[in-house]
Amino acid sequence: MALVEIRGLTKSFKKGGETIVPLDDVDLDVERGELVSMMGPSGTGKSTLLNAISGIDRPDSGTIFVDGVEITRLSRGKLADWRAANLGYIFQTHNLVPVLTAYENVELPTLLLPLSGSERRKRVELALEAVGLTDRADHYPRQLSGGQEQRVGVARAIVAHPKVVVADEPTGSLDTETSKQIQVLLRRLNEELGITLLMVTHDTEVAGIARRRLRLDQGKIVEVAGEFPRGATVSAI
Amino acid sequence: MFQFAPYVAKTLWGHRARSLLTISGAGVAIFVFCFVGSVQEGLDRLTSDESAQRTLVVFQENRFCPTSSRLPQDYAGRIAEVPGVRDVMPVQVWTNNCRASLDIVVFNGAPVEQLRKMRDLTLVAGDWSAFAGKRDAAVVGRSVAQRRGISVGDQFTIGDLSVQVAGIFSSSVPAEENLIYTSLEFLQYSRGLDRVGLVTQLEVSLAEEADPDAVAREIDEKLKAGPVATTTRTRGAFQASTLADLVDLIGFAHWLGFACVGLVFALVAATTVMSVQDRVKEHAVLQTLGVRPSRVFRLIVAESLVLCLAGGIVGTAAATLLLAWGGFAIGAEGATIAFRPSVSLAALGVGVSLLVGLVAGFLPALNAARTPIVQALRQA
Repeated sequence: MALVEIRGLTKSFKKGGETIVPLDDVDLDVERGELVSMMGPSGTGKSTLLNAISGIDRPDSGTIFVDGVEITRLSRGKLADWRAANLGYIFQTHNLVPVLTAYENVELPTLLLPLSGSERRKRVELALEAVGLTDRADHYPRQLSGGQEQRVGVARAIVAHPKVVVADEPTGSLDTETSKQIQVLLRRLNEELGITLLMVTHDTEVAGIARRRLRLDQGKIVEVAGEFPRGATVSAI
Repeated sequence: MFQFAPYVAKTLWGHRARSLLTISGAGVAIFVFCFVGSVQEGLDRLTSDESAQRTLVVFQENRFCPTSSRLPQDYAGRIAEVPGVRDVMPVQVWTNNCRASLDIVVFNGAPVEQLRKMRDLTLVAGDWSAFAGKRDAAVVGRSVAQRRGISVGDQFTIGDLSVQVAGIFSSSVPAEENLIYTSLEFLQYSRGLDRVGLVTQLEVSLAEEADPDAVAREIDEKLKAGPVATTTRTRGAFQASTLADLVDLIGFAHWLGFACVGLVFALVAATTVMSVQDRVKEHAVLQTLGVRPSRVFRLIVAESLVLCLAGGIVGTAAATLLLAWGGFAIGAEGATIAFRPSVSLAALGVGVSLLVGLVAGFLPALNAARTPIVQALRQA
């Protein structure tokens, strides 16, 4: 059984007088330990799919099972509990809490789990170590560079040992050099820690770190075989 | 349960200018609320406490200011004959101002032994023998002494009156602490008063079983044929009537207290709304991480509560200290209302701020908890 099982997922919304269907009867299986990238032109539903898998947006129809739990049937409160225990989310714009230090930002998801103080500390320290930011633990987001902020965001996403981590344009707001560092980090997390990672990106180079690559077009998922050409644009794929 | 307390604290500290301004505003409003409340409490104490209901005041009919009431002192003997009367104390009153004033000085002259028997006075400085042994000696209420900086041994002069301070007293009746007591003869014989054989009022202590209204009627009936007609009421009714103009004003000030509560509500609600609007995305991020909407609700209410409660505690503490140290009173026609701090008033100040904090945070918190996460995450 796949870790993530999506069947007949449909999502539509009205914009002006027009009905847009970003997800049209989508089926998708993601196996445990996979690193999957999703590309596609803007507005094709990549983020909508990611949000549905995260349980922060509800589809019109269809089902999503994650590790056997049908999250599409959970209430808002239950979904929050499920996310706390099972999901890590990496945002494009980091979205760290500005009044908390890097350590406290990473600690936030662990406050929602039944962990002892020492276990919590251990997990936060390990997560910060995994992203190479142990020496920046006491820094506030304003004292960190964009790349460091995103690494804190990655540490926050993995600290609760989630079953699946989703990343929405994780390098979208970073320069080329920093983007490369994040790519290496994500790949390492997948390969060394076995984290299942679903990633939405516009960048073919970032998508290239995934062994399995998907393209969303007109509400449908298409598997893309082979390596992406380096530097190619989304529309060229 | 309190795992997110540091988050709430850091959020408030992170916007400290806004937080401190809100706390100061709430503090000032609760300070005024407590002050108004103390005036209200002072009036209630004056008119409704048990001793005010069990003591009668005999005053000249149709007279209000103490300077205009002149009763023959020998009325005391006739009143003492009325069934239900335990004791009668002749009192000569002198005040520096018959109108409403915040710094009224009221002298009551009464026989020293009777005074000690009928009033619950405790000397906090000086001694009774010095008071009894000297004609121009006076014992001064703690509040007047505080307000005017009077100590034992001082010579205190106001108008034509000059007294030697023999003691400072406290009383279980706060209004008493705004009076200065002398011997009856001193006030009657003082230059300019010329009240020999006359008193301003007679205070009647009742026997336990006596009906105050019936005794009052009987006293007035008995003295109707005398040279001066009288009006007899319970001390509570007498003081309420004497302070009638102030009672209206205090009733109006009561609304000022409510306005202060409204002000705290508006201030804290505005701050909370601003804070929520600034952090729509942050709350969505928290929910994405797994924070339940109900916890987001509680976090925002907690912020509002902390701001309001901090303001409430500061305001209540400031008002309590000032009321305790200031010895403030307002008076008219010889009667005074003491502004005193009280445990019930402090509890009310803190309780009101707690309640307002909860209510002020409710709608912004509900709004934040119910905003769809994806929509909130898209906000810049």
